Amino acid sequence: MSNTYTIPVGPLHVALEEPMYFQVDVKGEVVQSIEMFAGHAHRGMESLALERNFFQNIVLTERVCSLCSNNHPLTYCMALENIAKIQVPERGQYLRVIADEVKRIASHMFNVGIGLHVIGFNTLFMHAMEVRETMQDLKESIWGNRMDISANTIGGAKYDLDDELEAYLRKTLEELKKPVEEFRHMYATHPQVKARTQGVGILPPEAAVEYGLGGPVARGSGIDNDVRKETPYAAYDKLNFNVVLGEGCDVRSRALVRLGEIFESISLIEQCLDQMPKGPICCDPLPDIPAGQAVARSEAPRGELIYYMRTNGTMYPERLKWRVPTYVNWEGLRVMLDKAKVADIALIVNSIDPCLSCTER
Amino acid sequence: MVLSIFKVLWNNLKQGPSTDPFPFGETFTPARLRGKVTVDPESCVGCGVCATVCAGNAIKHVEREDGSGKDFYVWHNTCTFCGLCQHYCPTDAIRLTNNWSTAHRNEDKYKMKEHEFIAYARCSECSQPMPHMPHAMLDHIYGTPTEELENIYSLCPECRRQKAAQQFGAQIHD
Repeated sequence: MSNTYTIPVGPLHVALEEPMYFQVDVKGEVVQSIEMFAGHAHRGMESLALERNFFQNIVLTERVCSLCSNNHPLTYCMALENIAKIQVPERGQYLRVIADEVKRIASHMFNVGIGLHVIGFNTLFMHAMEVRETMQDLKESIWGNRMDISANTIGGAKYDLDDELEAYLRKTLEELKKPVEEFRHMYATHPQVKARTQGVGILPPEAAVEYGLGGPVARGSGIDNDVRKETPYAAYDKLNFNVVLGEGCDVRSRALVRLGEIFESISLIEQCLDQMPKGPICCDPLPDIPAGQAVARSEAPRGELIYYMRTNGTMYPERLKWRVPTYVNWEGLRVMLDKAKVADIALIVNSIDPCLSCTER
Repeated sequence: MVLSIFKVLWNNLKQGPSTDPFPFGETFTPARLRGKVTVDPESCVGCGVCATVCAGNAIKHVEREDGSGKDFYVWHNTCTFCGLCQHYCPTDAIRLTNNWSTAHRNEDKYKMKEHEFIAYARCSECSQPMPHMPHAMLDHIYGTPTEELENIYSLCPECRRQKAAQQFGAQIHD
């Protein structure tokens, strides 16, 4: 008689952010194997996109996911611009980077915060959310919404920064540095956080390559892979930044990579503000979209996001397909959860920053 | 360090709550907040680009049968506050206010709309109804339009064609 038994984790689990069902075979409290079942958050968005015109789809793609809600319309617009051979004005490209990086800071802060909530350290979790709140106020002041900032449109950016908002943005970023540095120090040195996160959810670099993982999950295992560096889009080729890498290959390493990326993002925004030329923010507002097909990719907070689009000369796309970072990253869970403790499952799942509303859309 | 957590706690005690006292006090509402839509019927030309780009189909243009103009509806409960209408409006007639207050009783749900009447102008020759051209739009296209241009834009397309043909004929005749 086998002494393993099967326990369900999810789909509505107290510590998972979104619905996903794990069927976990355990022996004692050690995970032997897992089976993942997705499909609880399916909304049929790829089909919905075919019934909406190119402009309406900017908004639809933004609603795919709330935490990387800037990357979806950005990549969608880039795919469309590739088809129509639209050149985005330089200022528009810098504005796109600013929007992207502000969203990245908020997303990373949220994920690290939730990780602390999962291990039961709610004081530091609430502190993370409070630090993140400055970014939410910033988004509300510049773009007018806390999550769906609606910064992109076909051929450029939809918003502009005046001197007053630019000064406000600079001031907020300057004020953010100290709390994030303190937060990173607390995360890195607190003995209980260390005890729960170090050596948990090990992902060897070879496995990260084998499974084709991306984003902070791969970078936490020392894989130098960043779309912003490799195939720069928007204005990333004119900006200096480092790809933050971790060596620990564990939950803690992935969180520290995310915290490190916040500083890179702050520096990127400051460089944008320094270098940004004056001029138009957007090209011809109603461009003709010819028939064709294109692929665009960008670095979302969770990893590499790819959009494929085919058009047929009408106002509606013929096919719109996207591959989101979580789709590749959750395969890595098979490695990370192997021989893990039952109590660590939620923590390890959170460490890949899963976004199921993107993946199942 | 464990100590720095106590520093955070002590600062939190000193600062008091970080949340706004809403609904008993004011809450954070920046000027650029994307809230309820308003329409200025004076500067609207009724081109319909807002209805085309509207993601939720919240904007409806309905022609009046007597040809006097069109009714412009914006349904607040269908609006996603994306601001595409404002971005693509050629005359800045439609814009998002920072009024985010959309709570209402269920029986009022059909009143949660913006309704404006976009009146058509009359042709100065044949008094046929036609979409009116706001002055701001003419300025936008021509800088400061001459009187002749303004006269042309007071004509309906049919009369404009006739007048242009007459002018052209007169030129040939000369």
